[in-house]
Amino acid sequence: MSRSAQDYQAEDAIVRAINFRNLRRIDWLLPIFVLSLAGIGWVTMYSASAHTGGNQHEKQVLFFIAGAVIAAGIICIDYRALVAFAPVMYGGVILLLMAVLQFGPEIKGSQRWLDLGLFRIQPSEITKLVMVYFLAWYLHTLGPKIRKLHWFVLTFVLTGVPMLLILKQPDLGTAACLGPLVIVMLFVAGCRLWHVGLVVLVGLSVVPFAWFQIHDFNPSPKSWEQDKQKAEFYENKEWYDLHWHQKMRIYTFVHPDFAPRGSNWQAYQSFVTVGSGGLAGKGFKQGTNTRLNYLPEHRTDFIFSHYAEERGFIGCVVVIGLFLAFLLRGLMYARDCPEMMGTLLAAGVVTVLGFHIFFNISITIGLMPVTGMPLPFLSYGGTFYLTTMACVGILLNVPMRRRMFLEEGMFGG
Amino acid sequence: MITINNEPKRYEGVENRVQIMALVLALVFAIPCLRLWKLQVIEQSVYQSVADDQRISETTLESDRGVIYGRGDVILANNRASVSIVFTPGECPEVRREETCIRLASLLRLDTNAVMEKVRKNAGDPFQQIVIKSDVTRSELFRVEENSLDLPGVAPIVRPQRRYLYRETGGQLLGYLGEISKKQLNDPYWEERDYRQGDVIGLGGLEAQYEHQLQGEDGYLLVTKYASGRPQLRTDRGGMPVLAKTDSAGNVATIEGEGREPRAGDPLYLTLDIELQAKCESLLKGEVGAIVVLEAETGAVLAMASVPTYDPSVFVSHDPTGERSRLLNAGDPKPMLHRAYREQYPPGSVFKVMLAAAALEEGVVTPASTFYCNGRFRVPGSSRIAHCWKRSGHGQVAVKEALAYSCDVYFYNVGLDLGVDKIQEWAHRMGMGVNTGIDLPNETKGLIPGKEWKAALFKDKPVWDQNWYPGDTVNVSIGQGSAATTPLQNAVMMAAIVNGGYRVTPHLNRDALLPPSERFLSDSTIERIWGGMRMCVEKAPPDYPSGTGWRAGVEGIGILGKTGSAQIMNLSHHEKYKTEEDIPYEFRDHAWFVAGVIDHEPKVAICILVEHGHHGSTAASVLAKPLIEYMYRERNVEDVQIAHASSEGA
Repeated sequence: MSRSAQDYQAEDAIVRAINFRNLRRIDWLLPIFVLSLAGIGWVTMYSASAHTGGNQHEKQVLFFIAGAVIAAGIICIDYRALVAFAPVMYGGVILLLMAVLQFGPEIKGSQRWLDLGLFRIQPSEITKLVMVYFLAWYLHTLGPKIRKLHWFVLTFVLTGVPMLLILKQPDLGTAACLGPLVIVMLFVAGCRLWHVGLVVLVGLSVVPFAWFQIHDFNPSPKSWEQDKQKAEFYENKEWYDLHWHQKMRIYTFVHPDFAPRGSNWQAYQSFVTVGSGGLAGKGFKQGTNTRLNYLPEHRTDFIFSHYAEERGFIGCVVVIGLFLAFLLRGLMYARDCPEMMGTLLAAGVVTVLGFHIFFNISITIGLMPVTGMPLPFLSYGGTFYLTTMACVGILLNVPMRRRMFLEEGMFGG
Repeated sequence: MITINNEPKRYEGVENRVQIMALVLALVFAIPCLRLWKLQVIEQSVYQSVADDQRISETTLESDRGVIYGRGDVILANNRASVSIVFTPGECPEVRREETCIRLASLLRLDTNAVMEKVRKNAGDPFQQIVIKSDVTRSELFRVEENSLDLPGVAPIVRPQRRYLYRETGGQLLGYLGEISKKQLNDPYWEERDYRQGDVIGLGGLEAQYEHQLQGEDGYLLVTKYASGRPQLRTDRGGMPVLAKTDSAGNVATIEGEGREPRAGDPLYLTLDIELQAKCESLLKGEVGAIVVLEAETGAVLAMASVPTYDPSVFVSHDPTGERSRLLNAGDPKPMLHRAYREQYPPGSVFKVMLAAAALEEGVVTPASTFYCNGRFRVPGSSRIAHCWKRSGHGQVAVKEALAYSCDVYFYNVGLDLGVDKIQEWAHRMGMGVNTGIDLPNETKGLIPGKEWKAALFKDKPVWDQNWYPGDTVNVSIGQGSAATTPLQNAVMMAAIVNGGYRVTPHLNRDALLPPSERFLSDSTIERIWGGMRMCVEKAPPDYPSGTGWRAGVEGIGILGKTGSAQIMNLSHHEKYKTEEDIPYEFRDHAWFVAGVIDHEPKVAICILVEHGHHGSTAASVLAKPLIEYMYRERNVEDVQIAHASSEGA
């Protein structure tokens, strides 16, 4: 029996999926943005780590290289081939998240890591990428059917499962990231506007919820009294109640002057660090507030404060501009991609990264309550750097396939 | 089969939706930019000052207290380096803290629990240096240094500490130091002079009087501080700050701002001759009393001794034996009380010198006028009989004999003729019963009673108790009754007799020399008084009575003298006892002797007081002789120049 058309198609798919000739068609503008941001991140990390004799800046280079390798790998494979695996990835991630809750060690009050012997992984980090793939697959598969309400609602159910699992860890920042992701992807996928409008309205109900959570919250500056209160609080805690420290974060966000030496130290010092930077900044390695350890976490979630202190308002605007240029370039790929899958993928990746950038910066300058949220390219941390570079790979992948797609027809058509 | 399909697989309007998304993204990213503008440009100064305040701290550099010099460039008080052992918990790994405390306590022979308690109390600020033991001995220091590897976070620091080189000699004059009290800190007087808690100030004597001269100005270093409180500044073993290029973590240590060097206190130059002071104190050894030696022309204090005395060093260093509280709570005789200016006594016959001078100046008596003394004197207007100390009487006496033999009856008459108002006026003029103005704190004023004083004292009593009677004048005339003066006042009075009739202000600081008063004694008065007082110290040929102060006479030196025995109890009280030795100590008379040297330089006025010494002639005047011999024969006080010629030229 001769080989069927399907066999040819399958062979052809593998050949096309891994086609190095496509590398010639790479867009160079986006990598320039990435390199600029990674360079700024490296210099900032050098300044932030050198004063304690840390080698985080060196490690950051390794993370970048490892990330670049992963990005290159992703670039080489046709994104459509990867999207085809999305349901499998989705199932795998759900299993991983459940495994974390089952076996993950508790570190600083939350279970986020899974120890695999050789290295540790953070499934919630992978979930963000997988959800981009999965939603792209789901929405592409549905096509115009997304305008039906039940399909629309199903999207939220499918997103809600990993979201709840992550909330259970708890990892509020990552879980919150999935919300805008699903809304933006539904919007781009062509859902009805009033559907999405309704969801945004429901989403905004988080504000009265937060108010409800803290309206009778009484943080006491005296620690023993606080302990007593905490004990009472946990005895009477309802299922919908936030944790004590979460309430405290919302409270201190609403009252920025509360306990600057106590529970609000982090946010208050971030104000001081950013504010004292001024227009032009204190200069390279001159950021006194961070170098003297007044600002905790200034190498990870609060690296932007450190950057703002040393580079001032001008530097901040430059780096925000670079981030914006990077994201808009990604959206251009989404706009110019002739088929839905690439558009959705690019829009999703831009949403995830944009969400991190916006929220991280907003937290450091007191626009949002303090939540663990790293800043792409700047914050120290291997897993997140790899995720970021994977996102870059996905983005670059989209325009590369466009021409092939126009010339050779659609994969699996 | 491969199908070519160029039709876009996208719905209409997807491009618009992506573009809307881009627009929203750009708008959203403008929000942090606006916020950053507010924080970094509009409110920059607010956060800058917060950042500076929390980062920069002052490290105090203690200043040296001014050196006190005595006559002849002798250093009486200076500063030495005192080593304290401090522990900084933040520089010791937490697991080793307890072990370090235990080891340190055993090395310094301290109670382990007390050390742990000290450390625990400061747990809030781990980079606070906790003084474990101050002013350690050399051997303790060596023990700690030998074990320094096992004592992380333990370091010796050096602070300037007061040293009194002559120990108890002149101790009360120099005074003592102590930490400023909470009450003083709240006092605006101290507050505006920038004193802070823990500052050491002078609490007595010259240290207190010249506090502002002696107190230097502490300096400070502006030091960058880590959030943990660890300063970015290291000290070397001597406690001197090292402006290291790099700190322990290898960072450049930035000393921010200018800081201020400590300014040592200004030196204090005294007129005090410490050797003479030591001689005076040794003369009084075993007694309770005081000796004042004034330069008659200027009022400069050459010596001012009070025995018993104390060592002010006790208040400076660590006090394990409780010596400090023992001194402060001591009963009579109080070692911290300087008897020469802070205690008052009835002047007794010493008062007669003043009275004689006043009577001569007022013309109440002439040098030739005499009174007859039969040992008894009936007080006018009453039946009271006042006795002369010599019951057999002195016979016919003029002013010269009256001073030489201390005839009471003569002065009863003179006092009554002069009247109490004049007595009071002249006593005050010559420095008795008023503050002398010496540059020492808490001077006692003494009292010369008068009509107003008595009326005020008995204002609740019937009017006949308030009235002044001749009997009161009689009492005052021989320095008894309520009259009270300090030895220093008597010396000032004596200085006026020696220097020819003007009052000087006694002073210890050579720079505190004040111009003397107008001259109030005439040459003829001086001559008469000198005559009587010289006769007092003359040893008469056999069968003739000698002056009461003959034991003070020194061959070849012109000495004026007047003895005094100040009664505490009525004479009739003493008659209850067979011999003087039977009289209980506290009822015995105070022995006085005032003296002057008129023909040797420097001319001096001397006042000697021996508490409960019975008689001025036997207890006090005997001290004058060795004192004067020492001053002019052994020591040659004139050659001991006030110590500034050399140091000022430098």
